[in-house]
Amino acid sequence: MFLMSSARTNDEWLHDLNASGESQEAAVADLRDLLLRAALYFFSRNLGDFGGLNRDEILQRAEDCAQDALIALMNHLQDFRGDSKFTTWAYKFATNIALMAARRERWKGVSLDELSFSNEGVFFEWALQDKSDGIAPDRSALQNEVRETIQDVIEHELTDKQRRVLLMMVFNEVPMDEVVRHLGANRNAIYKMLHDARRKLKSGLQARGFEVGETLNLFGTQG
Amino acid sequence: MNRERFDAWLRNIYETQDEEISCTECFDLVSHFVELETSGRDAVAELPKVKQHIEQCRACRDEYETLRDLARFENEGGAPSLDDLRSSIR
Repeated sequence: MFLMSSARTNDEWLHDLNASGESQEAAVADLRDLLLRAALYFFSRNLGDFGGLNRDEILQRAEDCAQDALIALMNHLQDFRGDSKFTTWAYKFATNIALMAARRERWKGVSLDELSFSNEGVFFEWALQDKSDGIAPDRSALQNEVRETIQDVIEHELTDKQRRVLLMMVFNEVPMDEVVRHLGANRNAIYKMLHDARRKLKSGLQARGFEVGETLNLFGTQG
Repeated sequence: MNRERFDAWLRNIYETQDEEISCTECFDLVSHFVELETSGRDAVAELPKVKQHIEQCRACRDEYETLRDLARFENEGGAPSLDDLRSSIR
């Protein structure tokens, strides 16, 4: 179908949004619809996050996301460099806010403090499982060495915060923004902690002779 | 952690780079990345750091995948209407 919001060029979007009066109002209204479409699209593909809400509540959340995204976008309008369609650039503000809202809804009743206490158990359960699935004994022994190396690095080489974030996100699949909220941090800081943890794990594996190709093959993964 | 997730994580460990871009940098560049992709250019060759980040960061990857879908809808004229999308929420 034909959509009015697609009809503007990048320059026309910027001109109209920076104008005053009716042309600005029309552009803002079209932009808001565009952001709402992005939020609804994201929600429609992540309905499992909204188990506790009825349809009207979900639709209202999408409206709220569109409004929040509109404010965020207008505050960053001067950052648009023109290296994409304006609409593509705009959509990312809505997808960012919609993702945070959806994950928040899914995890709102979960105590990450309690999860932290059980993290060690989850980890050791993982480390001990899956050792006898019918594979050759020498291959199984090497797999165990990889697991033990990873366990050793996690226990002895990661900082407490790196270990905590790793166990939450990798072992318990807690979403980034919930970890951010829980620790009062931001995405960049959490990403950096995981990045540093991965670097230590990579070094640890390589120092013990586990190079990439053979290790991935060992676990049946093709590089 | 099941086998599939462990395999993916192991791959992430080995694909770790000394320097990786932050989530903020990824957010800044991802619309350009999607634009390159949807216009048939080699986005991975032009912006390898973005590709590397979205492989490692689930949140940024989820946002990227949605953005890519929406950009394709725009380009191909198949964008669902607001009414269609509202109907898909049940």
